[in-house]
Amino acid sequence: MATEQANPDANGPLETRELRLGIIPLTDCAPLVVARELGFFAEQGLDVTLSREASWANIRDKVQLGALDGAQMLGPMPLAGSLGVAGPRKPMVTAFNLSLNGNAITVSRRLHERMCRRDPRAMAQRPVTAEALRQIIETDRLAGAPPLTFAMVFPVSNHNYQLRYWLASAGIDPDRDVRIIVIPPQFVASNLECGRIDGFCVGEPWNSYAVSRGIGCSLITSYEIWNNGPEKVFAVTEEWAARHPATHRAVLLALLRACRWLDEPDNRRTAARLLARPEYVGVPESVLTPTLVGRFRDGLDNTVRYLPDFMVFSRYGANFPWRSHGLWFGLQMMRWGQIGDYSELEGAVQRTYRPDIYRDAAEAAGLSVPEKDWKTEGLHAQEWLLKAARYPIRMATDRFFDGRAYDPADPHRYLGGFRIGRRPRRAGG
Amino acid sequence: MHGAGAGSQEVQMAARILLIDTKPSRSHHLEEALSAAGFQVLATVDEQDDLYARMTELAPDAVIVDADLPSRDTLEHLAQLGRRFPKPIVMLSEDEDAETSLEAARAGVSAYVVDTLAPATVRSLVNVAISHFQAHSQLRTEISRIQQSLEQRKAIDRAKCLLMERQGIGEEAAYGRLRKMAMDRRLSLYELACELLE
Repeated sequence: MATEQANPDANGPLETRELRLGIIPLTDCAPLVVARELGFFAEQGLDVTLSREASWANIRDKVQLGALDGAQMLGPMPLAGSLGVAGPRKPMVTAFNLSLNGNAITVSRRLHERMCRRDPRAMAQRPVTAEALRQIIETDRLAGAPPLTFAMVFPVSNHNYQLRYWLASAGIDPDRDVRIIVIPPQFVASNLECGRIDGFCVGEPWNSYAVSRGIGCSLITSYEIWNNGPEKVFAVTEEWAARHPATHRAVLLALLRACRWLDEPDNRRTAARLLARPEYVGVPESVLTPTLVGRFRDGLDNTVRYLPDFMVFSRYGANFPWRSHGLWFGLQMMRWGQIGDYSELEGAVQRTYRPDIYRDAAEAAGLSVPEKDWKTEGLHAQEWLLKAARYPIRMATDRFFDGRAYDPADPHRYLGGFRIGRRPRRAGG
Repeated sequence: MHGAGAGSQEVQMAARILLIDTKPSRSHHLEEALSAAGFQVLATVDEQDDLYARMTELAPDAVIVDADLPSRDTLEHLAQLGRRFPKPIVMLSEDEDAETSLEAARAGVSAYVVDTLAPATVRSLVNVAISHFQAHSQLRTEISRIQQSLEQRKAIDRAKCLLMERQGIGEEAAYGRLRKMAMDRRLSLYELACELLE
């Protein structure tokens, strides 16, 4: 079991200066790119090579095998590693959340037109629900048509859970009523265009790309599904963290600076220019810029929506590794049958999510840190102040689009409140 | 047919392999090597293929995929869909195989196998793939090195001609001058040639 006190060795000299960190070519790899390109890693005495990886599976394997020191990961990945869900079991650690929000659910123009014809009233609501989709699925089933196919990016991903959350909230069972597959994000637009899939949930720049090419319409953003939910994390193996406390802290200090730099509105365009380079995301700056500066064209009409929090890197205590967020991911794994019961979950969350390491770094940077490791979600419809901190932290809305509240102190009640999902076995049962 | 490298004397079906690769020069040779080692290569598919349809239709015992292809994540999902689909090889690895997994990751090979395949067969399959991926990348490095040195020779020749023309001197004298200038300025002949040609 990990100790609750941060390792005092973090004050010692760096255990290593040369690091290889993995990234996936997506807009939200920005904190690592910025930390490298603006010299924030170098400022900490680190010589970092960013390794652009082709798949999340590569990221997982290379970090677990030690071919990478650490990496940008999908939020649920470190916990999945610690639990051995959808991959090998290897205790992982995350002490830093890289971003909030940033995904969207996009469907083909054809499916969007069918939805509008089917239930114009439901389609006029914002955010858009899956109600019209449910009716179409019902009709298709009676007609004996094959089920609609939706793509996401990895079995343990926000994209999978967000898509399922949205579908299930309208009474669609994602395991029975539709087909859900994995397609790498750079291929979803072409698959949507040729009709192999009917919709997808991916991150940027791939929703904007599909909309700008006139291939799809984005029905709902992940911001709207869960205001300011956690997205990508920085993760290492538990073994690496134990052997490199000072290096780990130095990485976190560099990432803290990078994230604060990224949340200065004036810097977002510069970030787009950096990310456009072929060794990073490698798509035109013009595709990357809009959502980075909070402008989202969803293709539902001809307007551009202003969503300043479409992607958040620092504000609202974004970088804190809330254990309640880890538990939420674990509860999604339970809801959709990726883990059978609760028995190991809380222990794995405690071990994987390391707010103690974050606090140690953030305090060294003179930043205020939350005193508690858990928080309730879904209760704030407006900005609020987190007072249980060295000095109050400005926090954001945290609503779920179906109006639910999530209390990590009562996870069984939370899970039991959903009509659709696998019935979990109770702890010890 | 005998199980490839399994050391078993029992007659068994050859393991049926699917390759996912976008470099025909590599996959062609790998297909041959796998056949020679007693495997049956079902097909080589491109990453733009519908992997769900191909995997269901072909039902391979193992998949060898170029780890630089994003489609690995699709195979990860297929592995979750039931026993009939191959699982990533790292999931099977105990200590002795960890080294092989690391070597495979470095060579850019990723393998997915069904759990009924004998460990020795899996090891032999992965070793053939690793050595072919390594050989291919060495060949690529060698070719690019040769191309580079050809380009450098061309640049030096052009710089030499330029000097002969401008200063009205012979070929040997021009080459001598190039060498001296390069030495004085601590540049390579190629670097100096590029500067002169600009």
